[in-house]
Amino acid sequence: MLFIFTSCASHNLPSLGGQPGQSAPFEPENGTTAASPQRTGERKPLFGGVSSLEPVLTGGEALSLSKLEALARQHNPTLAQAKAQIQSEHAKALEAGLYPNPVIGYIGEQINVRGTAGEFQGGFIRQEIVTAGKLRLSREKYQARASAAELLALAQMYRVINGVRMQFYRTLGAERKLEVQQELLETAEDRQVTVQEMFNVGQANRADLHQTRVLRQAQLLNVQQAENDLAMERETLGAIIGLLQPLGEVTGKLEAPLQPLVWEEALERLLAESPELAAAHANLKADEIMVQREKVEPIPNLFIEGSAGRNFEASETVYGVRAFVEVPLFDWNQGTIRQAKADWRRQRNEVRRTELSLRQSLADWFRRFRTALQKVTEYQNVILPQSEQRYVTRLKSYRADRETWSGVLEAQHDFFHRRLIYIDQLVAWRQAQVAIDGFLLVGGLEPPAGVVPPGHIDSVPKPR
Amino acid sequence: MKKGLSRRRFLATSTAAVAAGALGGRDVQGQEPTAGSRQKQANGPDSAQSSFSRYSRYHPSFGGPPESDHYLGKLVPGLRQSGLPPVPFEAPDLGKIPWRMVGGVKEFEIRCTPVKREFLPGQFMNVWGYNGSLPGPTIEAFQGDRVRFVVHNELPEPTTVHWHGLELPVQFDGVPGLTQDLIPPGETYVYEYDLHQAGTFFYHSHVTMQESFGMAGFFIIHPRIAYDPPVDRDFGLIFQNFFIFPNTATPDSMAMDWNWHTINGRSGPYTTPLVCKHGERVRIRLMDFSPMQHHPIHLHGHTFWLTGTEAGRIPVSAWVPRNTTLTGVAMAQDFEFIAFNPGDWIFHCHMTHHMMNHMTQQVGPRIRKKVDVSRYLADLPNRPPVEPSLARPAFEVPGYPQKMQGMEMNAEAMRKLNGRRETRGMRKQWHEGVKGLMTVLRVLPEDLYDRVMHSEEAIQPGEIFEAVARRK
Repeated sequence: MLFIFTSCASHNLPSLGGQPGQSAPFEPENGTTAASPQRTGERKPLFGGVSSLEPVLTGGEALSLSKLEALARQHNPTLAQAKAQIQSEHAKALEAGLYPNPVIGYIGEQINVRGTAGEFQGGFIRQEIVTAGKLRLSREKYQARASAAELLALAQMYRVINGVRMQFYRTLGAERKLEVQQELLETAEDRQVTVQEMFNVGQANRADLHQTRVLRQAQLLNVQQAENDLAMERETLGAIIGLLQPLGEVTGKLEAPLQPLVWEEALERLLAESPELAAAHANLKADEIMVQREKVEPIPNLFIEGSAGRNFEASETVYGVRAFVEVPLFDWNQGTIRQAKADWRRQRNEVRRTELSLRQSLADWFRRFRTALQKVTEYQNVILPQSEQRYVTRLKSYRADRETWSGVLEAQHDFFHRRLIYIDQLVAWRQAQVAIDGFLLVGGLEPPAGVVPPGHIDSVPKPR
Repeated sequence: MKKGLSRRRFLATSTAAVAAGALGGRDVQGQEPTAGSRQKQANGPDSAQSSFSRYSRYHPSFGGPPESDHYLGKLVPGLRQSGLPPVPFEAPDLGKIPWRMVGGVKEFEIRCTPVKREFLPGQFMNVWGYNGSLPGPTIEAFQGDRVRFVVHNELPEPTTVHWHGLELPVQFDGVPGLTQDLIPPGETYVYEYDLHQAGTFFYHSHVTMQESFGMAGFFIIHPRIAYDPPVDRDFGLIFQNFFIFPNTATPDSMAMDWNWHTINGRSGPYTTPLVCKHGERVRIRLMDFSPMQHHPIHLHGHTFWLTGTEAGRIPVSAWVPRNTTLTGVAMAQDFEFIAFNPGDWIFHCHMTHHMMNHMTQQVGPRIRKKVDVSRYLADLPNRPPVEPSLARPAFEVPGYPQKMQGMEMNAEAMRKLNGRRETRGMRKQWHEGVKGLMTVLRVLPEDLYDRVMHSEEAIQPGEIFEAVARRK
């Protein structure tokens, strides 16, 4: 089993679990399972068991976030893909450091000279002596790439867990929105009954009746859309987790203490701890080694060959030895060295590009977070209580014969409608919080990023 | 108890009254005779008046042809004797402005103030008035008085006071700009003039929106000697309208609609009944100070004679018998009648929307079965399912329901309604039929009147009403 250690990358990651006081990206809210490896000091397997197509849920139980995260670790296929990529890079490192095999063969020379079987009939063995630490450098290069692969796998884990969390909140929100839409349908039906009552006493006309039927039917469509939305959200959640069976109801809370974020602190943490950036640094390290490796490539390896056989003309056993080197007279690997240096420069800018991309992405998520937080705060503190109080005031006024029922229904509709907006803002706030806490890594079903970008110097049959 | 009526001629008595008025000096003590003292002086041992014997003050009777003084009790006097000062004026739920004599002038202090008035039990509204009252307390004076009004403006904006119907020096007419400068907030202004008229007048702000906010009050000027035939009761009622949105207590003086209706600052059934004795001659002075609404005022069980307007007394030859009198905005109507018919009589504006307050559509849970608003309040994030009320057979009749569902009164409100002496012994659910511009005229036989108005013995709901009904 492969384990992820926080020290696996050349890029320093002070805490994969997030800053103190923040929710750990791999730690469920109830804190019951899957604590951050670095926080607990435990070695947690990055990947669970092999994904199964067999049903894993017994059904009927409401699924908590921690349960869903655990399922995703087991069943999301991109995590298995990321694991394979790590294995691939480690295999390359292994292969690149292996010493060249000796060559053995049979030699028959000057056959039929003077009617003999030949001047030499025998065997030889040839060995290439690798110089200048080429094998060590090659292995280090691929080990650095393996580290990058591990960091990218960690990033993939964030993508999956973040994806599960975001989708969990979207599903939770869809469940609550469906409830509110059903309440709004009741209100629309009440409005229809009310207008029919008014029609009976001449306070509404046929056009009003038609309009209430329109509104009621439109609200029914809203309910149906909310049902479709919920089904879609559940399917999406199941897909991110990697399950083929339908998911049931999820359980959890959309609301949580509203804690603001400071831009400078969020940016500092992101640049210090982002697995993507760490992987870029690991690849830069690999490219540094690659330049060294290509620089030593022209230093000739020594080929030594020994032979033993029978000289039939002299009727005696003879031996031979040869040694030779390739003289880097015309091709001293100058082109590849230039290409390696170019790759190193490219990768160095890739690190900078990654930083800037993260900063840009953080700005977007931070905007979403701040906007949603402001809206959620105001909806909690002012808008919802005031809308609810307006509804209560009209209800009480109706009870005291000072308000029309139509006025009550309008206030009721406003209260329910604003709860829909509030739920949307809660989901938006949760998603932004998950993204920022999870290093902006989203998309749990996107294929894991490869270590080597297209066009990079890649291995030859013998990786180097 | 029936008393005989003294014989006298109306015109002769009237002449004597005028003469007495001319001779009557101002009260240097600053006090008019009390009702009790006047009553005691007035009720002679034998007041039988055989010339009015064709009309019974105690039973329904026609009283002869329309040309007759007997006709519908037209000139039938009250139980008081003629030639006496008028009975005190009574405006239920309103006070009077006290005065003091200063250098031969009756001086009244008037403060223009914001008012919090309880229209219905527990329903306090923010209006404006005088001396903390809406309508303002009554100014009561006598023909021939010289009066001075020291007006303090305690409102946050300028105002003036207009003396409606009075023939006075122009500089005291109270019209902003035209006759005087506005009285700034916190400032005082003095009006002073002689009263040569008698009748039902009123005072009010001459700033339009302040009028809509209720700033008016009675200004009753009595003749020194009461008009003949003399009345035993002199009641006054000011009708007003306001538009007050649901869930607020402040009128919208800019509104073109009016949904709260008050008589002397209260809405029915919180208006205090007018209580008189069986057989008394009663005068009621109506004054309409609604912003834009006229009121056809209807009295049950009696026919009354229009005897005065906001301009003063109407000659007897021009009196008109009515059951309903249309009182327009800024108009006063005095009418008189003999309270021959015992009972609790509704007395109301006949405009249907004025017979209720803050009307709302009669739809929604209040006409549905088993639906209570408290169920909505108990679970705000959700709501009860809708009951299809139209499935009930009654809804097959277009126009159903028409019944105005009664407002639920809590125990405290009921205590306020029935805690007044004037309501004792009325039917238990009397308040259900008294709403908006409605009050009640209670005509009670003397013994029942005394039980209601003077005794401290317990009276059960309905007891007085049933006693009256039994006697019929």
